[in-house]
Amino acid sequence: MAPTEEWMEAWQPMIDAVGRDFGGQVLVGADRVEPGTIRRFLEPLELWSPIHEDDEAAREAGYRGVVAPVSSLLSYQLPAMWASGDPGVFVDADRNAQPARSPVRPLVPDLAPPTTGYFATDIELELLGDLCVGDRLTRRGNVLLSCEPKRTAVGLGAFTTWESAYYTTDEALIARIRTGLYFYNPHTEDDEHA
Amino acid sequence: MPEQQLPAAGPTPAPPQRHFEDVTDGQELSPVRFPLSVYRLVVAAGANRDFNSIHHNSEVARASGAPDMYASTTFLLGMWERSLRQFIGAAGRIRAITGFRMRSFNVAGQTVVVHGRVTGRRRQGGTGLVDIEMWSDNGQGVSVGPGTATISLPCREGAT
Repeated sequence: MAPTEEWMEAWQPMIDAVGRDFGGQVLVGADRVEPGTIRRFLEPLELWSPIHEDDEAAREAGYRGVVAPVSSLLSYQLPAMWASGDPGVFVDADRNAQPARSPVRPLVPDLAPPTTGYFATDIELELLGDLCVGDRLTRRGNVLLSCEPKRTAVGLGAFTTWESAYYTTDEALIARIRTGLYFYNPHTEDDEHA
Repeated sequence: MPEQQLPAAGPTPAPPQRHFEDVTDGQELSPVRFPLSVYRLVVAAGANRDFNSIHHNSEVARASGAPDMYASTTFLLGMWERSLRQFIGAAGRIRAITGFRMRSFNVAGQTVVVHGRVTGRRRQGGTGLVDIEMWSDNGQGVSVGPGTATISLPCREGAT
Protein backbone atom coordinates (compact mmCIF):
# COMPACT_ATOMS: atom_id res chain seq x y z
CA MET A 1 0.00 0.00 0.00
CA ALA A 2 1.39 3.42 -0.87
CA PRO A 3 2.29 5.65 2.09
CA THR A 4 -0.27 8.26 1.06
CA GLU A 5 -3.05 5.66 1.24
CA GLU A 6 -1.89 4.53 4.67
CA TRP A 7 -2.09 7.98 6.19
CA MET A 8 -5.52 8.52 4.70
CA GLU A 9 -6.77 5.17 5.93
CA ALA A 10 -5.66 6.06 9.45
CA TRP A 11 -8.40 8.71 9.52
CA GLN A 12 -11.21 6.26 8.67
CA PRO A 13 -12.27 5.72 12.34
CA MET A 14 -12.76 9.48 12.63
CA ILE A 15 -14.72 9.60 9.39
CA ASP A 16 -16.92 6.80 10.74
CA ALA A 17 -17.46 8.81 13.94
CA VAL A 18 -18.91 11.89 12.23
CA GLY A 19 -21.99 12.95 14.17
CA ARG A 20 -20.71 11.67 17.51
CA ASP A 21 -20.43 13.94 20.54
CA PHE A 22 -16.97 13.62 22.08
CA GLY A 23 -17.63 16.26 24.72
CA GLY A 24 -17.82 14.05 27.77
CA GLN A 25 -17.15 16.82 30.24
CA VAL A 26 -18.27 20.37 30.79
CA LEU A 27 -15.33 22.73 30.41
CA VAL A 28 -15.46 25.67 32.78
CA GLY A 29 -13.61 28.86 31.97
CA ALA A 30 -10.76 29.67 34.33
CA ASP A 31 -12.14 33.03 35.43
CA ARG A 32 -15.31 35.01 35.59
CA VAL A 33 -15.54 37.84 33.10
CA GLU A 34 -13.89 40.89 34.61
CA PRO A 35 -13.53 44.49 33.40
CA GLY A 36 -9.75 44.15 33.44
CA THR A 37 -9.63 41.09 31.21
CA ILE A 38 -12.06 42.74 28.77
CA ARG A 39 -9.81 45.80 28.64
CA ARG A 40 -6.73 43.69 28.03
CA PHE A 41 -8.51 41.67 25.34
CA LEU A 42 -9.41 44.86 23.48
CA GLU A 43 -5.93 46.42 23.79
CA PRO A 44 -4.15 44.69 20.87
CA LEU A 45 -7.27 45.21 18.75
CA GLU A 46 -7.52 48.90 19.65
CA LEU A 47 -11.25 48.30 19.85
CA TRP A 48 -13.29 50.71 21.92
CA SER A 49 -16.98 50.92 22.66
CA PRO A 50 -18.70 52.14 25.83
CA ILE A 51 -20.54 48.81 26.14
CA HIS A 52 -17.22 47.16 26.96
CA GLU A 53 -16.31 49.48 29.85
CA ASP A 54 -19.27 51.55 31.07
CA ASP A 55 -22.02 49.73 32.94
CA GLU A 56 -24.59 52.48 32.43
CA ALA A 57 -23.87 52.77 28.73
CA ALA A 58 -24.07 49.00 28.35
CA ARG A 59 -27.46 48.87 30.11
CA GLU A 60 -28.73 51.74 27.97
CA ALA A 61 -27.77 49.65 24.95
CA GLY A 62 -29.83 46.74 26.28
CA TYR A 63 -27.18 44.57 27.92
CA ARG A 64 -27.25 43.18 31.48
CA GLY A 65 -24.07 45.13 32.19
CA VAL A 66 -20.60 45.61 30.73
CA VAL A 67 -20.43 43.04 27.96
CA ALA A 68 -17.47 41.04 26.68
CA PRO A 69 -16.68 41.17 22.96
CA VAL A 70 -18.11 38.24 21.02
CA SER A 71 -14.64 37.39 19.75
CA SER A 72 -13.55 36.74 23.34
CA LEU A 73 -15.84 33.71 23.86
CA LEU A 74 -13.08 31.29 22.94
CA SER A 75 -10.81 32.96 25.50
CA TYR A 76 -13.27 32.94 28.38
CA GLN A 77 -14.09 29.27 27.87
CA LEU A 78 -10.46 28.21 28.37
CA PRO A 79 -9.81 26.30 31.58
CA ALA A 80 -6.77 27.25 33.65
CA MET A 81 -3.35 26.23 32.38
CA TRP A 82 -2.30 25.54 35.95
CA ALA A 83 -4.10 25.65 39.28
CA SER A 84 -3.10 25.17 42.88
CA GLY A 85 -2.31 21.50 43.50
CA ASP A 86 -1.65 20.68 39.85
CA PRO A 87 1.73 19.27 38.80
CA GLY A 88 3.96 21.76 36.99
CA VAL A 89 3.42 22.55 33.35
CA PHE A 90 6.73 24.35 32.74
CA VAL A 91 9.12 21.49 33.24
CA ASP A 92 11.52 21.83 30.32
CA ALA A 93 14.04 24.66 29.78
CA ASP A 94 14.44 24.05 26.06
CA ARG A 95 13.89 27.34 24.23
CA ASN A 96 10.89 26.05 22.34
CA ALA A 97 9.62 23.57 24.93
CA GLN A 98 5.87 23.24 25.09
CA PRO A 99 3.97 23.15 28.37
CA ALA A 100 3.20 19.72 29.76
CA ARG A 101 -0.49 20.53 29.44
CA SER A 102 -2.30 23.27 27.60
CA PRO A 103 -5.99 24.17 27.57
CA VAL A 104 -5.50 25.61 24.10
CA ARG A 105 -4.84 22.19 22.60
CA PRO A 106 -8.02 20.87 21.03
CA LEU A 107 -9.68 17.82 22.51
CA VAL A 108 -8.78 15.06 20.08
CA PRO A 109 -10.38 11.63 20.42
CA ASP A 110 -8.19 8.56 20.65
CA LEU A 111 -9.72 7.50 17.34
CA ALA A 112 -7.60 10.08 15.53
CA PRO A 113 -4.12 9.11 14.35
CA PRO A 114 -1.27 10.90 16.16
CA THR A 115 -0.38 14.31 14.73
CA THR A 116 2.16 16.89 15.80
CA GLY A 117 0.59 19.99 14.32
CA TYR A 118 -2.78 21.63 14.07
CA PHE A 119 -4.29 24.96 13.26
CA ALA A 120 -7.75 26.43 13.06
CA THR A 121 -9.12 26.86 9.55
CA ASP A 122 -12.50 28.46 10.04
CA ILE A 123 -15.11 29.38 12.58
CA GLU A 124 -18.83 30.07 12.66
CA LEU A 125 -20.63 31.77 15.50
CA GLU A 126 -24.34 31.73 16.23
CA LEU A 127 -24.78 34.34 18.93
CA LEU A 128 -27.87 33.91 21.10
CA GLY A 129 -27.06 35.88 24.25
CA ASP A 130 -24.48 38.04 25.97
CA LEU A 131 -21.44 37.34 28.09
CA CYS A 132 -21.28 40.02 30.76
CA VAL A 133 -19.06 40.97 33.69
CA GLY A 134 -19.57 38.44 36.47
CA ASP A 135 -20.53 35.60 34.14
CA ARG A 136 -18.47 32.44 33.93
CA LEU A 137 -18.52 30.64 30.62
CA THR A 138 -18.91 26.90 30.24
CA ARG A 139 -18.54 24.85 27.10
CA ARG A 140 -20.59 21.72 26.51
CA GLY A 141 -20.45 19.15 23.79
CA ASN A 142 -17.87 18.59 21.13
CA VAL A 143 -19.69 17.11 18.16
CA LEU A 144 -17.62 15.99 15.19
CA LEU A 145 -19.44 17.34 12.14
CA SER A 146 -16.98 16.39 9.42
CA CYS A 147 -13.59 14.79 8.80
CA GLU A 148 -11.81 15.00 5.47
CA PRO A 149 -8.23 13.73 5.07
CA LYS A 150 -6.20 15.97 2.80
CA ARG A 151 -2.61 16.63 1.79
CA THR A 152 -1.81 20.34 2.05
CA ALA A 153 1.24 22.55 1.62
CA VAL A 154 2.16 22.07 5.28
CA GLY A 155 1.62 18.33 5.69
CA LEU A 156 -0.59 15.25 5.68
CA GLY A 157 -3.68 15.32 7.85
CA ALA A 158 -7.39 15.92 8.00
CA PHE A 159 -9.78 18.85 8.07
CA THR A 160 -12.29 18.44 10.87
CA THR A 161 -15.28 20.48 12.04
CA TRP A 162 -16.59 20.51 15.62
CA GLU A 163 -19.58 22.10 17.32
CA SER A 164 -19.91 23.15 20.94
CA ALA A 165 -22.50 25.09 22.94
CA TYR A 166 -21.58 27.88 25.31
CA TYR A 167 -23.50 28.69 28.48
CA THR A 168 -23.23 31.21 31.27
CA THR A 169 -23.31 29.89 34.80
CA ASP A 170 -27.04 30.61 35.07
CA GLU A 171 -27.59 28.04 32.31
CA ALA A 172 -28.32 30.56 29.58
CA LEU A 173 -27.26 29.31 26.17
CA ILE A 174 -25.40 32.24 24.59
CA ALA A 175 -23.66 30.74 21.58
CA ARG A 176 -23.13 27.78 19.33
CA ILE A 177 -19.70 27.76 17.76
CA ARG A 178 -18.47 25.57 14.95
CA THR A 179 -14.71 25.35 14.61
CA GLY A 180 -12.67 23.90 11.77
CA LEU A 181 -9.32 22.37 12.69
CA TYR A 182 -6.65 20.86 10.48
CA PHE A 183 -4.62 18.18 12.26
CA TYR A 184 -1.46 17.15 10.45
CA ASN A 185 2.07 15.88 10.45
CA PRO A 186 4.48 18.20 8.63
CA HIS A 187 5.86 16.85 5.39
CA THR A 188 8.88 14.57 5.51
CA GLU A 189 11.25 14.05 2.61
CA ASP A 190 9.55 10.70 1.95
CA ASP A 191 6.01 11.98 1.52
CA GLU A 192 7.12 15.11 -0.35
CA HIS A 193 8.47 12.79 -3.06
CA ALA A 194 5.48 10.44 -2.90
CA MET B 1 17.11 49.90 23.17
CA PRO B 2 14.87 52.13 25.29
CA GLU B 3 11.15 51.69 24.96
CA GLN B 4 9.76 54.07 22.38
CA GLN B 5 7.90 56.98 23.89
CA LEU B 6 4.21 56.50 23.26
CA PRO B 7 2.39 59.50 21.85
CA ALA B 8 -0.20 61.07 24.08
CA ALA B 9 -3.67 59.96 23.10
CA GLY B 10 -6.92 61.69 23.93
CA PRO B 11 -10.13 59.90 24.75
CA THR B 12 -11.52 57.87 21.88
CA PRO B 13 -14.81 59.36 20.70
CA ALA B 14 -17.82 57.08 20.93
CA PRO B 15 -18.79 55.67 17.54
CA PRO B 16 -21.96 57.35 16.26
CA GLN B 17 -25.10 55.25 16.63
CA ARG B 18 -26.21 54.04 13.25
CA HIS B 19 -29.84 53.09 12.66
CA PHE B 20 -31.28 50.58 10.25
CA GLU B 21 -32.59 53.37 8.06
CA ASP B 22 -29.04 54.73 7.66
CA VAL B 23 -27.82 51.57 5.95
CA THR B 24 -27.94 51.08 2.20
CA ASP B 25 -27.30 48.03 0.04
CA GLY B 26 -23.72 47.99 -1.15
CA GLN B 27 -22.59 50.40 1.56
CA GLU B 28 -18.96 49.84 2.50
CA LEU B 29 -17.50 49.79 5.98
CA SER B 30 -14.43 51.92 6.56
CA PRO B 31 -11.40 49.66 6.07
CA VAL B 32 -9.47 49.06 9.29
CA ARG B 33 -5.71 48.40 9.22
CA PHE B 34 -3.96 46.06 11.64
CA PRO B 35 -0.16 46.19 11.28
CA LEU B 36 1.15 42.88 12.70
CA SER B 37 4.41 43.33 14.58
CA VAL B 38 5.85 40.62 16.81
CA TYR B 39 5.11 42.95 19.70
CA ARG B 40 1.42 43.12 18.82
CA LEU B 41 1.12 39.36 18.34
CA VAL B 42 2.66 38.80 21.78
CA VAL B 43 0.28 41.30 23.38
CA ALA B 44 -2.61 39.56 21.61
CA ALA B 45 -1.57 36.11 22.83
CA GLY B 46 -1.31 37.39 26.39
CA ALA B 47 -4.70 39.04 26.13
CA ASN B 48 -6.69 36.26 24.49
CA ARG B 49 -4.77 33.37 26.11
CA ASP B 50 -4.18 31.48 22.86
CA PHE B 51 -0.61 30.65 23.75
CA ASN B 52 -0.10 28.17 20.92
CA SER B 53 3.55 28.88 20.04
CA ILE B 54 2.72 29.28 16.35
CA HIS B 55 1.29 32.68 17.32
CA HIS B 56 4.36 34.08 19.07
CA ASN B 57 7.41 31.99 18.23
CA SER B 58 8.88 32.11 14.72
CA GLU B 59 10.96 28.96 15.13
CA VAL B 60 8.00 26.85 16.18
CA ALA B 61 5.78 28.39 13.51
CA ARG B 62 8.32 27.63 10.77
CA ALA B 63 8.81 24.07 12.02
CA SER B 64 5.05 23.63 11.69
CA GLY B 65 5.17 24.60 8.00
CA ALA B 66 4.12 28.24 8.31
CA PRO B 67 6.32 31.06 6.99
CA ASP B 68 6.49 32.80 10.38
CA MET B 69 4.46 33.34 13.55
CA TYR B 70 0.92 34.29 12.65
CA ALA B 71 -2.24 35.83 14.06
CA SER B 72 -4.60 33.50 15.92
CA THR B 73 -8.25 32.84 15.13
CA THR B 74 -9.36 34.87 18.12
CA PHE B 75 -7.22 37.84 17.13
CA LEU B 76 -8.40 37.75 13.51
CA LEU B 77 -12.01 37.41 14.64
CA GLY B 78 -11.52 40.39 16.91
CA MET B 79 -10.39 42.40 13.89
CA TRP B 80 -13.74 41.74 12.23
CA GLU B 81 -15.50 42.64 15.47
CA ARG B 82 -13.69 45.99 15.69
CA SER B 83 -14.63 46.80 12.11
CA LEU B 84 -18.25 45.81 12.75
CA ARG B 85 -18.49 47.63 16.08
CA GLN B 86 -17.27 50.85 14.48
CA PHE B 87 -20.09 50.49 11.97
CA ILE B 88 -22.95 49.40 14.23
CA GLY B 89 -22.23 51.51 17.33
CA ALA B 90 -23.10 50.62 20.92
CA ALA B 91 -26.73 49.66 20.26
CA GLY B 92 -25.94 47.35 17.38
CA ARG B 93 -25.50 43.63 17.97
CA ILE B 94 -23.53 40.97 16.19
CA ARG B 95 -25.92 38.02 15.71
CA ALA B 96 -23.89 35.59 13.63
CA ILE B 97 -20.67 35.19 11.72
CA THR B 98 -20.31 32.60 8.99
CA GLY B 99 -17.66 31.91 6.38
CA PHE B 100 -14.79 33.03 8.60
CA ARG B 101 -12.30 30.88 6.69
CA MET B 102 -8.60 31.52 7.17
CA ARG B 103 -7.20 31.00 3.71
CA SER B 104 -3.58 31.92 4.37
CA PHE B 105 -1.37 32.80 7.30
CA ASN B 106 -1.44 36.38 8.54
CA VAL B 107 2.16 36.64 9.65
CA ALA B 108 4.31 39.10 11.56
CA GLY B 109 5.46 41.85 9.22
CA GLN B 110 2.20 42.01 7.29
CA THR B 111 -0.64 44.49 7.63
CA VAL B 112 -4.11 43.00 7.69
CA VAL B 113 -6.87 45.26 6.36
CA VAL B 114 -10.47 44.37 7.19
CA HIS B 115 -13.17 45.28 4.70
CA GLY B 116 -16.94 45.00 4.73
CA ARG B 117 -19.88 45.65 2.44
CA VAL B 118 -23.62 45.54 3.10
CA THR B 119 -25.26 42.77 1.08
CA GLY B 120 -28.74 42.53 2.55
CA ARG B 121 -31.24 44.25 4.85
CA ARG B 122 -34.52 43.19 6.37
CA ARG B 123 -36.80 44.06 9.27
CA GLN B 124 -37.70 41.67 12.04
CA GLY B 125 -40.20 43.29 14.39
CA GLY B 126 -38.72 46.55 15.60
CA THR B 127 -35.20 45.49 14.73
CA GLY B 128 -33.31 45.80 11.50
CA LEU B 129 -31.11 42.93 10.42
CA VAL B 130 -28.23 43.58 8.08
CA ASP B 131 -25.93 41.11 6.33
CA ILE B 132 -22.41 42.36 5.78
CA GLU B 133 -19.87 40.59 3.63
CA MET B 134 -16.55 40.71 5.47
CA TRP B 135 -13.01 39.88 4.42
CA SER B 136 -9.43 40.45 5.49
CA ASP B 137 -6.57 41.19 3.12
CA ASN B 138 -2.96 40.66 4.20
CA GLY B 139 -1.37 42.36 1.20
CA GLN B 140 -1.15 39.09 -0.70
CA GLY B 141 -4.86 38.73 -1.27
CA VAL B 142 -7.90 37.74 0.78
CA SER B 143 -6.55 35.91 3.82
CA VAL B 144 -9.79 35.54 5.80
CA GLY B 145 -13.26 35.11 4.35
CA PRO B 146 -15.13 36.34 2.52
CA GLY B 147 -17.75 35.58 5.12
CA THR B 148 -20.96 37.10 6.37
CA ALA B 149 -21.71 38.92 9.59
CA THR B 150 -25.37 39.35 10.46
CA ILE B 151 -25.91 42.33 12.70
CA SER B 152 -28.95 44.04 14.16
CA LEU B 153 -29.55 47.75 14.41
CA PRO B 154 -32.25 49.78 16.11
CA CYS B 155 -34.89 51.28 13.87
CA ARG B 156 -35.88 54.94 14.05
CA GLU B 157 -39.37 54.03 12.93
CA GLY B 158 -41.49 51.61 14.89
CA ALA B 159 -42.15 48.05 13.81
CA THR B 160 -43.88 47.87 10.48
